[in-house]
Amino acid sequence: MTAPVLAAVVAQATPLAACLVILVTLRRQPAAAALLAIGSLVVALAAAAYLVAVVAVPNVHTLAQVVWLPISGSAGLAFGVLLDPLSTAMALVVAAVTLAVMVYSLGYMAGDPGFARYYGFLALFAWAMLGLVLASNLLQTLVFWELVGLASFLLIGFWFERPEPAAAARKAFVMTRIGDVGFLFGVLLLIRTMGNATIPNLLAAAEGGAFSPRFTALVAALLLMGVIGKSAQGPLFTWLPDAMEGPTPVSALLHSATMVAAGVYLVARLHGLFAAAPDVMRVLLWLALATALASATMAMVAADIKRVLAYSTISQLAYMLMALAAGSVAAGFFHLVTHAGFKALLFLSSGIFIHHAHSNEMKVIATRNPRSQRAGVIGLVSGSLALAGVIPFSGYFSKEAVLATLGARAGTAALVLAYAGAGLTAYYTFRMVFLTLRGARAPDVTDAHARAPGATAMAAPVLVLSALTLLLGWLGGWFAARLGAGEATHGPLAFGAGPLAALTLAALGIGLAWVEYGARGAARVGFVERVPALRDFFANNWYLDRLYAATVVRAGAALARAARWHDQTVLDGATDGFAAGTVGGGRILARLQNGYVQVYVAIAVSLLVALAVWLSGGLP
Amino acid sequence: MSLTTVLGVATALFGVGLYGLLQRRSLVAMLISIELMLASIAINIIGLTALTGLDASVGQVVVLVMVGVAAAETAIALSLFVAVHRAAHTIDVEQLRELKG
Amino acid sequence: MTATDLVFGASAAVALGGALLAVGLRNIFHNILGFALAMLGVAGIFLALGSDFLAAVFVLVYVGAVAIAMVYAVMLSHPLDQPPRARSVGKIAAAAAVAAAGAGGLWVVLRRAPWIAVTATAEESLAARAGWRFLTDYVLVFELISVLLLVAMMGAVMVARRSRSGTGSW
Repeated sequence: MTAPVLAAVVAQATPLAACLVILVTLRRQPAAAALLAIGSLVVALAAAAYLVAVVAVPNVHTLAQVVWLPISGSAGLAFGVLLDPLSTAMALVVAAVTLAVMVYSLGYMAGDPGFARYYGFLALFAWAMLGLVLASNLLQTLVFWELVGLASFLLIGFWFERPEPAAAARKAFVMTRIGDVGFLFGVLLLIRTMGNATIPNLLAAAEGGAFSPRFTALVAALLLMGVIGKSAQGPLFTWLPDAMEGPTPVSALLHSATMVAAGVYLVARLHGLFAAAPDVMRVLLWLALATALASATMAMVAADIKRVLAYSTISQLAYMLMALAAGSVAAGFFHLVTHAGFKALLFLSSGIFIHHAHSNEMKVIATRNPRSQRAGVIGLVSGSLALAGVIPFSGYFSKEAVLATLGARAGTAALVLAYAGAGLTAYYTFRMVFLTLRGARAPDVTDAHARAPGATAMAAPVLVLSALTLLLGWLGGWFAARLGAGEATHGPLAFGAGPLAALTLAALGIGLAWVEYGARGAARVGFVERVPALRDFFANNWYLDRLYAATVVRAGAALARAARWHDQTVLDGATDGFAAGTVGGGRILARLQNGYVQVYVAIAVSLLVALAVWLSGGLP
Repeated sequence: MSLTTVLGVATALFGVGLYGLLQRRSLVAMLISIELMLASIAINIIGLTALTGLDASVGQVVVLVMVGVAAAETAIALSLFVAVHRAAHTIDVEQLRELKG
Repeated sequence: MTATDLVFGASAAVALGGALLAVGLRNIFHNILGFALAMLGVAGIFLALGSDFLAAVFVLVYVGAVAIAMVYAVMLSHPLDQPPRARSVGKIAAAAAVAAAGAGGLWVVLRRAPWIAVTATAEESLAARAGWRFLTDYVLVFELISVLLLVAMMGAVMVARRSRSGTGSW
């Protein structure tokens, strides 16, 4: 085993070991659990950093795989690691954000009775996500894909004693499951054709034309179903806003930076296969575009700060997928990395405010002296500037790369709509900022809380991530060199019509938000919120949840009732009937043993005579 | 007096005895029926050894042994009936049903 | 028809008639008498078949001893003061059916058996030959029969004895 492969294995094994030890033995030792989890992530981060240095920087591609279950007639089930710039960079992102969230949670989750269980689940997630990122064949990816879904379920429903988190966890799991069915079929089709091939072999076969166009399109569409479910796009997005019932650090880690990005990562990883199905990619492009705009409208009317961020996550994921659909892995992945940085930052900052004000509602937070939380303010503002795409923050550069790709490859209509979405993004982001920070001055009753214990633990990651928003933007060229095979790149400070239009739209959005929410004496009501019908339409996820409840959920419940009837009446009835029949038959047979000697004699004599007749040759 | 006739008479006697064994309620009546069946067997043996190539003297021996055994069995059976009557106050076989189940 | 056949036919009729009386009549004493009659008929059949000694033995043992013992047993156990119970037709029919089937099966088996033909007859009387058999080839059987009869008598006495501590438990 070479050193990079060993590092990759260590990066996965340490969180797994921490998870098992915590969940089995350290349930009642919260401090030890947190220490173990953080320690394992430090090791994993170091391993990931090493991998980046050794694999991503020199642009090396390695694959190591071992067959752990040989199957006659095929290659067998294999477990391995695939190391190249894409996987190692993603691994570093995952490890870094997870570590930041774990440190932050020392302050945020302090005093929670399930503290140790929380860190155990976080370690589980880290293992599953790193496993997904570093997997060498599709079956392994599928296994870790499902494990990540499990971790999400456990963490969304962390406060399971309350009904809302439990319901949200179920909803998330079932919705992503619907997508996962397609994903499973896609993987099975590929396995049936190519056996359990490694991902590079699979991509080579796809690019080399080994599959028919219809087959490629079918597989691509099926795999995309999983992506749509996991990354909350299209019809399967409504679980993500509800997932905000989980603890805020969980939202920062899973539902913004990493887990929902797994779908995007998958498209990037299998880009060769998807590129061979251009029709499917076109559908993805328009689906993502529609999702981006729709979720932007929903973010414009949300009252809960975490829901605004959830909708914006959906929107930004759509941008990443648009870039990938248009054909640029570098742009899509670049945006994924910067988004992981600033979205986690935004969630963690909002967590500081939520912790301080004991409420998620922006208007309530505004009344509880939010500006006393300095780290939170810094984090919120810098993250929002990055999200809105203001130079020199990271979001500007990555969004530019996405828009440039769309402009070059996706056509004018898509580009215009994407720009409109960017403008809306700036508007709703700063609506959030102004609603939260520019509130009526309330008497400083909460000042005693200002230096609450754990504040340092929460502030430090926020400040680190804030600094990163200024630094990550310069990685664009680096990504383009390693991930963009032959794509046209433009330098980060290139100016042209595109960037100028984007900055103008961002300024317009921020300005409108200032006028409506931020200025002194502003009405603090948005132009959409003045139309109650529109406001309700956007606030209720475009009534999609009601549609699903009336159709899919009803059908599913009816099916479940039918199955229960079948189980109770047909299956149980048959079994009980069989038992009753046996008992009844036994009762009938018991009449032979009635105690009458003459009956016994008659039976014995008859049988004897019959035997004698039979032995002598049967009846004449 | 062919072999067929002898065998036929013996079989008929056996049938009558079997009917009595199954139909009569009194233990003594059942014993009488058993004795009839034994007698029919004796007729069979004697008839076969007299009218076929089987050794007649061996037939005599067998039947004599059978008579001895039947006599012994009858003695014991009758004393058993007396004991049963003393214990259960009946020798009606339809009421002696301890073997039920 | 020879004299032997005549004797045989008459004896067979008596035997079967007595048997029918033995199983058919209601009164148990009549049954015993029918039984004795049947045994007389069987003795006649033996005579017709040439087993004179055996015929005598049958009369002595069955008519003379077994029937009398049965009378004693009836006197000691039978509910003679009660009227005979009603007979169920079902039981009669079932018993008759099983009996017919049993006898029929037996008949089938007997008819099928390949009996070998008769060989040369001997000079000496059958009884003498049987005696010889008992004292040479089957002497052990002879002794065992004696032991059996002794044991049976002792057993009969023991079983029918009243136990010292009141009536026996059932």
